[in-house]
Amino acid sequence: MPSINRRALLSQLLLTTAPVVEDAGKHTLVCVFLRGGADTLNLLVPYADDIYYKGRASLAIAAPSNDSKSAIRLSDHYGLHPMLKPLADKFHDGRLSFVQGVGIRDNSSGSHFESQDLMEHGDASLDNSAGGGWLGRFLHARAGKNLTPLSAVAIGTKLPESLRGAPSVSVMQSLDDIGIKAPSNKPEAAAAALAKLYGADVTLLGERGRETLDLFHRVSALQHNDYHPANDAAYPKDEFGSGLREIARLIKAGVGLEVACIDLGGWDTHFLQGTAEGTQAGRAKLLADGLAAFDADIKAERDNVSVFVMTEFGRRLYENSSLGTDHGRGFACMLLSNKVKGGRVIGSWPALAEEASDGPGGMKIHFDYRSVFSEVLRGTMGLAGTGSVFPDFKPESVGLV
Amino acid sequence: MKTTRRQFFQAAALSSGAVALSGCERFISTITSATAVVVPDHLKSSESLEIDPEFHLLSRAAFGPWPGNLQHVKDMGREAWIEEQLNPDSISDAACDFRAERFNTLFVRPAEAYNFKKPLLRDELTRHALLRAVYSQRQLYEVMVEFWTDHLNIDLNKGDCVYFKPADDREVIRKHALGNFRDLIRASATSPAMLVYLDGRSNKVTKGKPVPNENYGRELLELHTLGVNGGYTQNDVREAARCLTGWTVNLLKNSEGKVKQLFQPSRGESFFNPEHHDDGSKMVLGKTIPAGGGEADLERLIDIVCEHPSTAKFIAKKLCIHFVSHDTPDSLVQRVAHEFTKTKGDIKSLLRVILKSDEFYASRGQLLKRPFRYIVSSLRAVAADTHAHQPLVDWLHRMGQGLFQYPTPDGYTDEEAPWMGTLLWRWNFALTLAGGKIPTVQIAANKLRKALDAGRGKSADEVTTKLFAHFTGRQARPYELEAVRGLNNDAEALGVLLASPAFQRC
Repeated sequence: MPSINRRALLSQLLLTTAPVVEDAGKHTLVCVFLRGGADTLNLLVPYADDIYYKGRASLAIAAPSNDSKSAIRLSDHYGLHPMLKPLADKFHDGRLSFVQGVGIRDNSSGSHFESQDLMEHGDASLDNSAGGGWLGRFLHARAGKNLTPLSAVAIGTKLPESLRGAPSVSVMQSLDDIGIKAPSNKPEAAAAALAKLYGADVTLLGERGRETLDLFHRVSALQHNDYHPANDAAYPKDEFGSGLREIARLIKAGVGLEVACIDLGGWDTHFLQGTAEGTQAGRAKLLADGLAAFDADIKAERDNVSVFVMTEFGRRLYENSSLGTDHGRGFACMLLSNKVKGGRVIGSWPALAEEASDGPGGMKIHFDYRSVFSEVLRGTMGLAGTGSVFPDFKPESVGLV
Repeated sequence: MKTTRRQFFQAAALSSGAVALSGCERFISTITSATAVVVPDHLKSSESLEIDPEFHLLSRAAFGPWPGNLQHVKDMGREAWIEEQLNPDSISDAACDFRAERFNTLFVRPAEAYNFKKPLLRDELTRHALLRAVYSQRQLYEVMVEFWTDHLNIDLNKGDCVYFKPADDREVIRKHALGNFRDLIRASATSPAMLVYLDGRSNKVTKGKPVPNENYGRELLELHTLGVNGGYTQNDVREAARCLTGWTVNLLKNSEGKVKQLFQPSRGESFFNPEHHDDGSKMVLGKTIPAGGGEADLERLIDIVCEHPSTAKFIAKKLCIHFVSHDTPDSLVQRVAHEFTKTKGDIKSLLRVILKSDEFYASRGQLLKRPFRYIVSSLRAVAADTHAHQPLVDWLHRMGQGLFQYPTPDGYTDEEAPWMGTLLWRWNFALTLAGGKIPTVQIAANKLRKALDAGRGKSADEVTTKLFAHFTGRQARPYELEAVRGLNNDAEALGVLLASPAFQRC
């Protein structure tokens, strides 16, 4: 394909009503970050092991039974939190897998920020930074391969660390919001003036300004049509649900979306975590309902979409004095994709750490998180070598994809 | 039925399709424009090619100049202005009080706050912060209020925090914003809002459960004092948490969700429960706290962490990043840290060192305004009349800085890159403000042009030149003039200037 410069592409887009960028964004990776350190021990319940029930006198999820408050059976060892029920059929269809015991090996601080920072940057330690975020470096390595202003989208209002260093990132809450509100009602004149001002600015600010103008032009072409999700997909009526809906819209519009990041917060359950109902159950319901709606909505595009769900660390096996759980170590992450070697929980159990050696009562880390991220990028996005994304790191095989 | 102010606004908004000012607000706006100098008759903007030093001082130690401020600083001299700002009580702030202090919920004790609805508490707290930043004459004080609000971040959306944050704002942040660092941290440690936000209230040891809740103890070391690389260990976190066991707060509802007896006078107040305190000996950062200390353990712990050399460095560095630049030379950071140690954390002394330093003046135009500063400095530059209603507050949310609503304890960042994803909203704010299209916000654009001698009869380039210098403190470069030349609409040209890279920075 001959190279088309960005401006030519834009003018072409503005002339067509349904712009499709061929070749770009063949596969979309949606990264869901559960902020706060999700207690995955209560999401992917190790019901076959008594140690789980001993450590959680009041917080454990009951082993699978006819009771609606018990875990939903996945295998002889694991069950799902009852609120994650919408995900069970995807597991049994072989499209959803979990990796148990993922985390940062030498994370000694147990800090939310340091852990999120390390994980989103994909660094071995804060002193040894590769620069940028792991998704940013991935996109950077592919730069020139038809990257568009909508190659990377973060749903929300702030740029996530993982997308740092990407050639372009758009932060948005909804597609319909994008526009330039000129007092003259002729946004082109204001856009042209801004293009001159930001075009002459050689710093990052100028670069971001130019990308913002590109985004404005591109999205103008997508607006003015109501969106109806396919297959009666019912998204949760909150920011997470509407964010996933906007991602589905962008995927279907074929604007070259490669990486979409979305957060779901509220997992820092030090206090009154709840069991089948309560604080964590509410978040679990949102997560499962949102993912199920998204999966139904993009049914026709499923071959080209993968959803990866992670958090910064798991929580301790035993509950604390305020009916919550404190920061632990390893966690379980999941991948929903047609490319997944599905229906499995990878990683050995028992996964519990010794009290003194590995930090107090957290899950032992079997897989360096970068091994999992590497495999997700190779298996879903077709990244050839991971050296550009995780320098000085030799990923081990996880067997996820 | 009694109608609340909020219901009145909602009704007004529904009936007119727009937010309307209340009679009281119209009165305040009228009085202000009749009695105070909103825009002086004559304004002289900077003629220098680089950012004027007085303008720079006002951009960082204030939320940007209000029309006339620049001349005021030039007349009195920068050092005298800094000294005046460091003694906020010496500055009359009646006009601002008139506008910002009329919200009932600002003054309530936590127990009384339970009588108000959560959205009202949130709105009034936000509006108060915004109005103070825009209109207060005590600008440096407000800048520090914003700084400590992030440093000791509390998210109103967690638990009962919204009921307690008004008291935290008064008794912790505003009380100590220009005071002593140790007093600030001590006040925060037992602030009901902080006890709820970082789970300190459920940090206790009982017979069955000897495990403390480490959340606050960890952030005290990591975020409030020593910093993440400050040289503490996991053990120090746990030991700090042990020192703090037993400090808690009486909430309105008990853990089963039932409303407690209403006559309980201490509802919403913090207190020490010795039965839940771990009274064994502790070792924090190499210092022993002997057994049997009871509630005095807290004082010992706060002393230890505030006197630790890492804390002086951490706070010095954070202040330098906020006021100077991300690459502040070590020489200045060290001087500030030294001053911190010498004065035992006297905040005014630290600011004096920073604002009078050569490094400070060498950093002109190097910082990106965060959304709050961007919005407030815009409103100040055009002498806006606002009562900070929702249409204005919405812009803060779009740009990603809803006040008191940052979810995690690190507070809104001073780093630049994370804020650059929402430039489109900054542009739209500028254009909408300039077009007079933000409901309930009036700008003094014509008065401003006239005062700058850039009114009717002047060429478009002359107008742009004067306005640009007024907004940014320096002369426009040729390409900046040229960029605006194609715009035929006055409001649009004004908006584009406020949206330009030069005004995004400070």
